[in-house]
Amino acid sequence: MPGNASGKMQRTAVAAVLTALFVLPFVLAQLGRTGEFWIWVITEMVIMALFATSLNLILGFGGMVSFGHAAFFGTGAYTVALLMKKAGFGFVPAMILAPLAGALAAAIIGWFCVRRIGLYFSILTLAFGQLLYMIVFQAYAFTGGDDGIHGIPKPEIFTPLTYYLLCLILFLLCFVSMRTLTNSSFGLTIRAIRENPERARFLGVNDRRYQLLNFIIAGGFAGLAGGLFTELNRFAQTEFLHWSKSAEPLLASLVGGMYSLVGPAIGSTVLIFLKIILQQIHKDLVTVWAIILGVILLAVVLFAPEGLVGLYRKFREKRTQN
Amino acid sequence: MTLDFILFLSINGVAQGMLLFIIASGLSLVFGVLRVINFAHGSLYMIGAFLACSLSALLAGTSLLHFLLLLVLVPPAVALLGFVVEVTLFRRIYRREHLMQLLLTYALVLIFDDLARVVWGGDLRNVARPELLAGSVEVFGLFLPSYNVFILILGPIIGLGLWLLLYRTRSGKLIRAAVSYPQMLSALGVNVSALMTATFMLGCWLAGFGGVLMSGLANIDLGIGMEKIIECFAVVVIGGLGSVGGTMLGAIIIGVGSSFIQVPLSRLATMFPYIVMALVLIIRPWGLFGKPER
Amino acid sequence: MKVEAKRFLFVALALSLTVGMGWAPGASAEEVLKIGWVADMSGIGATFYKSQKAAVDLFVEETNAAGGFLGKKIEVIARDAALKPDVGANLARELILSEKCEFLIGGTSSAVALAVTKVSKEFKKIVFFHTSNAESITTTDFQPYMFQVVPNTGIEGRGYILYLSQKPYTKYGYIGYDYAYGHTQFDAAKALLNKLNPKAEIIVELWPKAGETNYSSFIPTLMSKNPEVIFSSLWGGGLASFIKQGVPYGLFKKSTLTALYDLDLLRATGLEMPEGQLGYARCPFYGVDTPQMAAFVKKYTEKYNEEPADWAIMIYDGLLVLKKAIETAKTFDADILVKTLEGMKWNSLRGERYIRAEDHMANVGIYVGTTAKDPRFKNFLILKDVTEVPAEKAWLSVEEVKKLQPK
Repeated sequence: MPGNASGKMQRTAVAAVLTALFVLPFVLAQLGRTGEFWIWVITEMVIMALFATSLNLILGFGGMVSFGHAAFFGTGAYTVALLMKKAGFGFVPAMILAPLAGALAAAIIGWFCVRRIGLYFSILTLAFGQLLYMIVFQAYAFTGGDDGIHGIPKPEIFTPLTYYLLCLILFLLCFVSMRTLTNSSFGLTIRAIRENPERARFLGVNDRRYQLLNFIIAGGFAGLAGGLFTELNRFAQTEFLHWSKSAEPLLASLVGGMYSLVGPAIGSTVLIFLKIILQQIHKDLVTVWAIILGVILLAVVLFAPEGLVGLYRKFREKRTQN
Repeated sequence: MTLDFILFLSINGVAQGMLLFIIASGLSLVFGVLRVINFAHGSLYMIGAFLACSLSALLAGTSLLHFLLLLVLVPPAVALLGFVVEVTLFRRIYRREHLMQLLLTYALVLIFDDLARVVWGGDLRNVARPELLAGSVEVFGLFLPSYNVFILILGPIIGLGLWLLLYRTRSGKLIRAAVSYPQMLSALGVNVSALMTATFMLGCWLAGFGGVLMSGLANIDLGIGMEKIIECFAVVVIGGLGSVGGTMLGAIIIGVGSSFIQVPLSRLATMFPYIVMALVLIIRPWGLFGKPER
Repeated sequence: MKVEAKRFLFVALALSLTVGMGWAPGASAEEVLKIGWVADMSGIGATFYKSQKAAVDLFVEETNAAGGFLGKKIEVIARDAALKPDVGANLARELILSEKCEFLIGGTSSAVALAVTKVSKEFKKIVFFHTSNAESITTTDFQPYMFQVVPNTGIEGRGYILYLSQKPYTKYGYIGYDYAYGHTQFDAAKALLNKLNPKAEIIVELWPKAGETNYSSFIPTLMSKNPEVIFSSLWGGGLASFIKQGVPYGLFKKSTLTALYDLDLLRATGLEMPEGQLGYARCPFYGVDTPQMAAFVKKYTEKYNEEPADWAIMIYDGLLVLKKAIETAKTFDADILVKTLEGMKWNSLRGERYIRAEDHMANVGIYVGTTAKDPRFKNFLILKDVTEVPAEKAWLSVEEVKKLQPK
């Protein structure tokens, strides 16, 4: 356990980061249009960080590789889009229902999926995710098919700045609750199941029920992320449900480090950021973005499987040893 | 629907299944021996198809000989690419968790697909069928393209070849043994890693072979790899991961099933592979021919 | 816990540092007028992008050689939306806010276009669409900063029905991709067919998935119903596959296939394309007899050693509209330019055209003809006896458009 001094340092560091996150947009707002663009970017980063963190409940803590997490992101997105555009709901009720819808979808899909382990779980989540994608794609009259639902109302109070602040506060609330959750007895049980399912079962733990509950909670957070993303873009689109969207938080978790809570958020932020910086450095770089991303992934898988957070830990260990 | 039409659709569907089988068997074989689900299998298939297009443009001929030359030359080229990938990358991850393996192969998909775009660009292209295979054969009063008949014959030959290789030769026995007892095999002086490389190359050869066949059937663009890999997943899952016979059955189910389902409900044909795949995973996750793990 | 906190700090620091770096490159270059292009470069977008880019490069070269727009050199900054709407919207924002682009060009995917047009409206930047052709972008999703120079789905669907209904066919079949483009085109076509020829009937409808390459199971189903004519919203690689696979089944001995026979498709199907099919195209260079087109084709062919596909011509036409508007109004102010654009005539490669004031749709019709061999092109067939179905006959009336547009 860290001593008093480091505990103090930790609090200072957290306070500094939080202050930076809250002050940053106000600084950006002074920088004219470029600043406005970066407020958009950091808003997207916060939302995608929430999405990636939610997946990591299943991935890092649950030890299960889901290829269908976009299903819940998309469910949240379409819930907000349909309620606000077609049913005349306000922002707040729609945004409360988004995570609930995500959780409901996760409950139904998860009920089938968590019975399967390893690769079978992965492929089954992929199959369900794609089926939902196709249903939304084909329900043309209701969902607009691949054109999606556009022109979702924007409440007056939202400027890029205030919307960022809202997303940031929600993200922090979610982050703290996920942290509490993973440190609770529930979280410990989930980890115990990940490490040794037989043993957990032997101790009388209903492992499937725990995993399902975990899956539902993750779905709920993903639903919220989807809802926030829809309001940011003011449209919902079938791509939000596609499996390539499921790959995004997976890659983010890998790059950031899936064995820590903050890793996926860092990974997601770094990837979004890298892409934008690359296209501003040289426009040809972004035309081979997929190759660059692929090479980064290869490097992480081969040399740094615990991601950036893992690298940082190693770096620290080396320093303390010296 | 008349009986003739039903029979015709069945034969037509089996022909579709055979093409799927040739590609999916490579995926299944690689999984069976290396325990890695290779996401990049679809990209290798696509590269095979692109290579066929380029080579065919180079040879500039439409005789059967030209086409056979493609079938002889292109798959080994894809296998060679597989060799490079196996030795430099795959070899390092056999002992890692599924996630790392999947992500590594996914990284390869990103790289291969984008490289293909850089090399071949966006031109629409396909290979002209050899004159001998461009016509059709009359079946139940309807016309079945000779090219489909050609695939219909090739599929079982390749299936039989794989079966003989795995179950009737010494290398086959070793390959199968390598699945369960790699340590014991190396203790016996067998070069297991060479065996694995060879298997991986065979898998890539099959992907390339499927690519050549597809290039004569359809237009080749940058999306075909992604499209096919999902179908292959379905086939392999239905049949049971790692089983050649199962892959054959899975391919026929998808081929014939899609052939019939679109008669009343064309919109359902898209979902069909996913629905079957999900059902199999829910009811019998190890597939129709596979064995439950442990 | 300490580790976690430090990590936080570290990341935040790195973040703020690099953000700082981010806007350095955007600050310079005062004398260049930037035009942002939300293109679809990858996947199936690559085919279109190739010709689009060729035409854009040609236009920029010529324009800058002649002094640019109002004395300012122009630069087109292209980004890849990869057919994904959320990516497209982000890029549009980036191009406007960070790259300081004054104008936007759309891409190939309609879904991306629908997202980009919202950004254009929000930031009051003019955008034009040249290959993506959703009719809804001029109706339910209309916004004044947009104009479209490609025949939209409604003009296409009603246009080829106008053409087909002059023929004696009564049994129609349909095959098209199961997505928005296919459905809107089909709905427009079906409604008009019922009106023009009550005896005609659509006896079979098939909806394969978007981009399907394997039609082996669809073709026998289509044939079992014996339609005299099949109309289709298939395009590109999927359509090439459909034709290639349809030939040995004997499909074209029984029916004629009406679909989008653009130059890329004709080149891809080559001599396998059956003769005598009633096709349409959005802008075939060989079917347009104007001096402007001849000059353009000459320049393009000299530079790239191949003829321009429809996509090249349409994006070039869009740039010509922009140029004319800017030169007429002598300003880059978007609101003034919108007023200038409404009803503006311009000298298009297709001859003189105008932008209809109410929906900002250019009066561009589709070109119809029958497939045939031509001595000028050894390796592929083209459309023969090409005529244009004028947009005025096929587009929605001003009243219909007004009813659909947002108030």
